Amino acid sequence: MKELAQNHPGKIVLAMGNEAIVRGGLEAGIGYFSTYPGTPASEIGEVYVALKDHFPHLYAEFSINEHVAAHGALGASWAGVRAMTSMKHVGMNVAAEVLHFAAYTGINAGLVVVIGSDPGATSSTSEQDDRWYSLHTHLPILEPSTIQEAKEFTKLAFELSERYALPVIVNAPSKLCHNIGSLQLGPLPQNFTGLRGGKFVKNPSRYINLFGGSVANHAKALEQKAKLAADIPSLSLNKIFEGTSTIGFISSSVNFSYLKEALDLLGITDAHILKMGMSHPLNARQLMQFAERCTRIIVVEDLEGFLEFQIKSIMYESHIRIPIDGKNIFAPYGELDVDIIVRALGKTLAREIPHRIQNAYENEKKLARDIPPRQGSFCAGCPHRATAYAIVKATNRNAIFAGDIGCYTLACLPPFRAFDWVTCMNCGVGIGQGMRQVIGDEPMIAYVGDSTFFHSGIPGLINAVSQNANMVVVILDNKCVAMTGHQPSPTTERALDGTRFNPVDVKSLLKSIGIRYVRTVNPFNVSATIASIAEALREREGVRVIISEAECALQTERRKKLQPTSSEHYHQIEPSICQKCNECYIEFGCPAIRRFDEENEFSYYIEESLCTNCGACKDICPNSAISMVEIVRIRSAS
Amino acid sequence: MRYDILICGIGGQGVISLGTILKLAAIRDGIGVVGAERRGGAQREGVVTTNVRYYSRNLETHDAPISGLIPAGGAHLLIAMEPLEALRHIRYLNENTTIIVNNRPLIPVHVRIGEYQYPPLNEIYSRLTHVTSFVYAIDIDAISLNNFHSLRHVNTIALGLAFAAGNIPVSKKALLETIADQFHNSPESISAFEFGCHYLKNIS
Repeated sequence: MKELAQNHPGKIVLAMGNEAIVRGGLEAGIGYFSTYPGTPASEIGEVYVALKDHFPHLYAEFSINEHVAAHGALGASWAGVRAMTSMKHVGMNVAAEVLHFAAYTGINAGLVVVIGSDPGATSSTSEQDDRWYSLHTHLPILEPSTIQEAKEFTKLAFELSERYALPVIVNAPSKLCHNIGSLQLGPLPQNFTGLRGGKFVKNPSRYINLFGGSVANHAKALEQKAKLAADIPSLSLNKIFEGTSTIGFISSSVNFSYLKEALDLLGITDAHILKMGMSHPLNARQLMQFAERCTRIIVVEDLEGFLEFQIKSIMYESHIRIPIDGKNIFAPYGELDVDIIVRALGKTLAREIPHRIQNAYENEKKLARDIPPRQGSFCAGCPHRATAYAIVKATNRNAIFAGDIGCYTLACLPPFRAFDWVTCMNCGVGIGQGMRQVIGDEPMIAYVGDSTFFHSGIPGLINAVSQNANMVVVILDNKCVAMTGHQPSPTTERALDGTRFNPVDVKSLLKSIGIRYVRTVNPFNVSATIASIAEALREREGVRVIISEAECALQTERRKKLQPTSSEHYHQIEPSICQKCNECYIEFGCPAIRRFDEENEFSYYIEESLCTNCGACKDICPNSAISMVEIVRIRSAS
Repeated sequence: MRYDILICGIGGQGVISLGTILKLAAIRDGIGVVGAERRGGAQREGVVTTNVRYYSRNLETHDAPISGLIPAGGAHLLIAMEPLEALRHIRYLNENTTIIVNNRPLIPVHVRIGEYQYPPLNEIYSRLTHVTSFVYAIDIDAISLNNFHSLRHVNTIALGLAFAAGNIPVSKKALLETIADQFHNSPESISAFEFGCHYLKNIS
């Protein structure tokens, strides 16, 4: 990571797509950075925050949510400092309000908005394509294909942003954010405007976006976008790869590299390709020049066909009527890859699918059938596992479980299955309190994590209080944003390196918004947690809050490693007492508890290297077969 | 030159760091490298994969000529940290693929709760050998425990095994330097790698 801070132009380093984006910002002289963490974009924020010491002029923060982060970056830009804000694709929904005004008011210093998108939704609740936003925000979109382009495009995005006075979006899907490979560094600027170097120059006709002024700004935004669209051929973002084929391929992002590889595999060597580095706006003249000798165009892109939509519109206006394939060949959902493109193009163009790929799919169909799925689960020692277990036991699953977003979302999976919905941030309390107004009096438990609570949970909770909604809210406070890599949350007390934060006192906050019923529990004390949830459910009046408070086990384990002791403790199952009742192995399901099969017998044991000594299993064992043991670390001779 | 390695396993097994070592070694040797990771399940018992794709670098353009994902049937080498995961990724294998698989099942939650059966190990290996005869199923956990008294070196031993069994285009020197660098010159990590390199010779 340190190499990203060094001024070694020409050097080749190993970098993740996200790190290449960071370096692009640094090479452009970024002075302000803000983010709310979210996979696949989280590492951008981690790296900027970690590199602050190397760049005294760089301000970088983890913001409370994407809306605040986007506003902050806009403020820095207005004060003449190059700024970036990054978020995952659904973060755009939260930042959207801010970004719908940014083209109207325009920017001063370059403002770049990085979106980490997630076609296939491997780490998200949605696979929405944020590119569609630009049809009404009017923000230009750059789509790098490779790690190198991730850096170059980010750097260029700052220049374009200033030249056209528009914020510029860099859209990178997870397969680019988390692509790791060679990156050639460029030069870092000698000095740049950052911390304390900015100056706000008043400009009421732009920044007071009101009444007729906002209409004038709207016109100006459209004019700027049109100017940019006209200049596209000179920006060297889009590239035409001349081929003799009369079929024209148009693609962008990682799909361009998949397309190239798919064409190779299909033996198509004469392909005529337009690579869109900028996927909005498009330049009609460039498109016409590309399509001139095409009898057919095939658009290769993820999700619902944003490029195809724009291309068809331009073709219609230019009176060109040739077949344009896209979403009739490729599914408008899920994630494309080389194999999908090979098979779809093979079918459409009547080309033989290479035997290697055909065999591979046949092997998969024949040999990988009936294999158990492997879904995620709470880590060994996770406080959320103990809380979810307590919720199941206290309710006997006889309650409405208002789910939300965070590591605790894993409570929707077996063995707990104690989650009735999950959509967006703060959907638990938010949907639950509305539902409560129209249903009977069945018990309702809403989950919310510390970071989600501060992200957007407070307004929903205040609404629930003011409408006297009958519900139990469990705040699972694990003292960080665990899901995305342990970034600080407002309840973080201490970073691993010892940095102290000013944590928000959640209890006082809850009291001040009028919640009288607030209890704090240690989830590893499982029986007390079950009792506390059961008691709160019996109240049946208004909002009752239980704060289940214990730091994320991964963080605690890291702290232990930083200060190793000669002896450690873990828990052990005594086989002669264990009745194999499965309470710990199945109902609680801690991954450190394992089954050992021998001849015709089996036993359960706790894997010492995974056990965090949380003690929850000892508490739940009905046969008192689990106890704590001390071990003295054995060091091997080396 | 192209050489594609797929590494798969479960969160916490060191899949990502194994990929990082293979990639950093390529940078040392001046070989082009690229490859996407699936990190979603990291640390949470989920499936984690890393693609490591080596290519001859064009000195004029440092941009990768290939994508971050290995196509179906394209892996030259599969390093599977768990048997079921090797089977799950069978689509990436061909008749020449070398497979190093850690012969230690980790039971998924759905098996724990009785909704699925974990296939018998001999069934898993017979399905894998149906595709390629170069399958090395080794209890790497046992090697690590017996020789290093901990499971910490499982992935470094796997790397040694893979280096010996496959045709990884990076040099042993670059791998050793990278391991030393990544593990703060831990002599145990170096000997774990060397142990893996020599293990296959000793048993054959």
